[in-house]
Amino acid sequence: MNKKSLGLYIHIPFCQAKCAYCDFYSMSGSGDEDMARYVDALLLQMEDYAGAVKPYTVDSVFIGGGTPTVLPVKCMTTLIDGIYRCFDVSKRAEFTLEANPATVSLHSLQKYRRAGVNRLSMGLQSANEDELRALSRIHTKANFEASYMAARKAGFENINVDIMYGIPLQTAESFNRTLDYLTALEPEHISMYGLRIEEGTPFALSRDTLILPDEDTEADMYFDAIRYLNAKGFRHYEISNFARPGCECRHNLKYWNCDEYLGLGCAAHSYFGGMRFSFKRNMGMYIDAMEADITGGGMLTDDGTSIDYEQFRAAALVDELYEVAPSERVGEYIMLRLRLTDGISSEQFRQRFGLNFDALYGRKLKLYIDNGFMTFDGDSYAFTPKGMYVSNYILSNILDFDENSHIIGTIADGSEQ
Amino acid sequence: MPSEKQSKIRNFSIIAHIDHGKSTLADRILEYTRTVATRDMEEQLLDNMDLERERGITIKARAVKLDYHAPDGEVYTLNLIDTPGHVDFNYEVSRSLNACEGALLIVDATQGVEAQTLANAYLAIDNNLEIVPVINKIDLPSADVEKVRGEIEDIIGIPAEGCPAVSAKVGLNIDQVLDKIVSDIPCPEGDENAPLRALIFDSYYDSYLGVVVNIRVMEGSLRAGDRIRLMSTGAEFDVVDVGYMEPFGLKSGEVLSAGDVGYITASIKSVGDTRVGDTVTLAENPAAEPLPGFQEVHPMVYAGIYPADGARYGDLKDALEKLQLNDAALTFEAETSAALGFGFRCGFLGLLHMEIIEERLEREFNLDLITTAPSVIYKIEKKSGETVFIDNPSNYPNPDEISVAYEPMVKASIITPPDYVGGLMELCQDRRGEFINMTYIDTDRAELHYNLPLNEIIYDFFDALKSRSKGYASLDYELKGYEPSKLVKLDILLNGDIVDALSFIVHEEKAYGRARKICEKLKDNIPRQLFEVPVQAAIGGKVIARETVRAMRKDVLAKCYGGDITRKKKLLEKQKEGKKKMRQLGSVEVSPEAFMAVLKLDDES
Repeated sequence: MNKKSLGLYIHIPFCQAKCAYCDFYSMSGSGDEDMARYVDALLLQMEDYAGAVKPYTVDSVFIGGGTPTVLPVKCMTTLIDGIYRCFDVSKRAEFTLEANPATVSLHSLQKYRRAGVNRLSMGLQSANEDELRALSRIHTKANFEASYMAARKAGFENINVDIMYGIPLQTAESFNRTLDYLTALEPEHISMYGLRIEEGTPFALSRDTLILPDEDTEADMYFDAIRYLNAKGFRHYEISNFARPGCECRHNLKYWNCDEYLGLGCAAHSYFGGMRFSFKRNMGMYIDAMEADITGGGMLTDDGTSIDYEQFRAAALVDELYEVAPSERVGEYIMLRLRLTDGISSEQFRQRFGLNFDALYGRKLKLYIDNGFMTFDGDSYAFTPKGMYVSNYILSNILDFDENSHIIGTIADGSEQ
Repeated sequence: MPSEKQSKIRNFSIIAHIDHGKSTLADRILEYTRTVATRDMEEQLLDNMDLERERGITIKARAVKLDYHAPDGEVYTLNLIDTPGHVDFNYEVSRSLNACEGALLIVDATQGVEAQTLANAYLAIDNNLEIVPVINKIDLPSADVEKVRGEIEDIIGIPAEGCPAVSAKVGLNIDQVLDKIVSDIPCPEGDENAPLRALIFDSYYDSYLGVVVNIRVMEGSLRAGDRIRLMSTGAEFDVVDVGYMEPFGLKSGEVLSAGDVGYITASIKSVGDTRVGDTVTLAENPAAEPLPGFQEVHPMVYAGIYPADGARYGDLKDALEKLQLNDAALTFEAETSAALGFGFRCGFLGLLHMEIIEERLEREFNLDLITTAPSVIYKIEKKSGETVFIDNPSNYPNPDEISVAYEPMVKASIITPPDYVGGLMELCQDRRGEFINMTYIDTDRAELHYNLPLNEIIYDFFDALKSRSKGYASLDYELKGYEPSKLVKLDILLNGDIVDALSFIVHEEKAYGRARKICEKLKDNIPRQLFEVPVQAAIGGKVIARETVRAMRKDVLAKCYGGDITRKKKLLEKQKEGKKKMRQLGSVEVSPEAFMAVLKLDDES
């Protein structure tokens, strides 16, 4: 039987220290006991979903955070074993662990490798010590290098390294140093993110005092880095991602291809069975809900009505949940696929949605093609780097999640097909 | 000799500097006379427009009749006529004051006499009113009653010995105020048997009654069924009803006679027929002469008003029509702008009047507006011999068609403490003022006389005057007529296209400074677009200033993993929402906020 494929994401909301720019859900200061309890809760949730995931083969796993590698090694291997036990993980699955410098050792890395992890994602962010301090990272360049070398030694042949541009104190020159340093290490994959100041982070509060490169310098950093990395043999395949050919991140590609993925753990997001949903950013509630004994089958609420434990658990866990309407899927696909340098193939679009992309969007996109923001090769529409960098602006001009239903309604009625 | 009835009437208004407690005192007087039971009191009953309550100013004149049971056992009729308090409405104020024999002058016990106190006091003195000073806010710890008493005597020059010291807020000594009204303010006089002369001091439209005209009868009398004539136009109407303004509505009466303040209804359709200051007489037995002081009120300032959402043009039209029912000074006619779409060119008495109309449209009718820079009316003599009046820069003729251009001038008088004379002269010079003379009213006050172009004072002159004099200087002005002037029309171009809504007429000497400033402001306010946008200012095709809005380089969500797609969708939807409000000017998108920022450009250049 040909099973559907699925990506699995596991969220680990722990960090040794919280970075000043980060708005992912994580906390510092948790003890081993809390972490073990959380992992137990995760195992319970995996068991909960084992049935629903039966028709799928998991071909990518991503354990992210937070800093998953702050978990005691034993805890982590228990988790990984649980994943293999609960789900049908393909032999050739890509299995990524976010592993931050200064939280790993040769010993721990060997354990992860042996447990089944085959890809690491490491946060370097910058090769300049002053910039690392400004980002409130806990590691130094030397820490990173030691961890990276240890990972190679432990047998990891697929490593991603995260770097950032547009960060405090950074200059074009210092960014080049980071790029030089990193490419010399020859990782398989590089993610290069522009700093975005998120509301509610320490950076947002001190926004006015941060010494940041201006918009133009930042843009130049982005475009220069694309040229530089291309020259070094890294293919620019997504707005912020570069890889040696064949080493593109399979898991992240699922996000951009609108393929299915299940995210477990607090704050994790899923696109599963036609629904998008996420779990609450609240570890306490998550653990309580998972630990609640549901074998009784039901419970009485205060007003005496009986509700199903499953419902109770879902209500306690779920933050957001909605079905993606067919019309909305088109909008999502365009929004996400255009993040990729391959862009949207009219032929693939037709196969997926039964719609003519040219007829729907060709006219709207002409302006951008004529002015160097996009390319069109007869089949595929794609952003150029210049277009990618203003892609929100262009997408907000061309996309209308509401109107699509109308357009599609018209087309489905006949004329186009 | 006043009649028995007249001897029991007191007609008065309350004048004060802003925030000195005029409306609160009015409330207390109403409450004290039991006209309004305390439980029915809503704060500041007289100011019943939300806008008035918030700004603490009175926009329209309003009157109310109170019965006061005095300690002497007599019952007096007190007619309180509330007045607006801004130079835009000076004419209305003077008419309201004309309807009274006296005025309460409120002075804040913590602030003392201020500019507006003075200006209002003089206006009242000019109208021969008996002034009763009242010192308010004595409940405040920093109140200094004796000092303020001294100021009233020294600066205004009216006796303040024994004047009531009150707290309107807590209701202290309100009885003294009422006693003073009865004892100090003269009762009205006027022959009840003479031909009717009644002064219109306000009118408003009621959808059931038609126009309700508020009048003060000076001579003669009037009752339902009479045929009246409005002396400025000769228009005649049959009176349907007469009566009095009571706090919670109109109350019919049998007759209004000399000394009375009341209303008439006569199936009048438009407030435009019942001009403030006009005289009402009887068609049968008309008075020989109207009451003095009537002026026809003309708009002095024009601006284009457009709905931010073009689809609401019809709503805007309805709203303007409704406002006009009650505001004869407001004029409007349809106009179109390539940049802003369909809208109206509206005429106003002045800037405050314009702001009030804008705010009422936005609040009471829930409209989002874009208003173009205000303009005065220019007179152009063309080479062809034709003379045209221009209230919209878009209609300004080409420079080579113009023989002589004229702009309206005003005679301005500024009263200020001597300390600020230097700064104010500088201000007037800067606004192309022509100095006439300066006189000292007394050692504490100088009066500056200037001829000033109206277009230099309509915008923010009043604010500049206040800020340069710490609020003490007051301004009064009257139109003086047209004078030749070197005017130019300045066009603003975005991406090479003229944005008609941004064109304005300016004196040649100021064109360059204004041009540069507008270009800078546009550059700062126009969001970066995908393309570079040249911003230019030109006179008749010649570019005199230029800036460039650089192309946007970054608008991207770099990180879109962790699988949170919903957030990214919401972000795009929000961005899309924002774009819906954008105005497309050629190939350039400009937010209404950016538009307003540029249009609200102050004159300090």
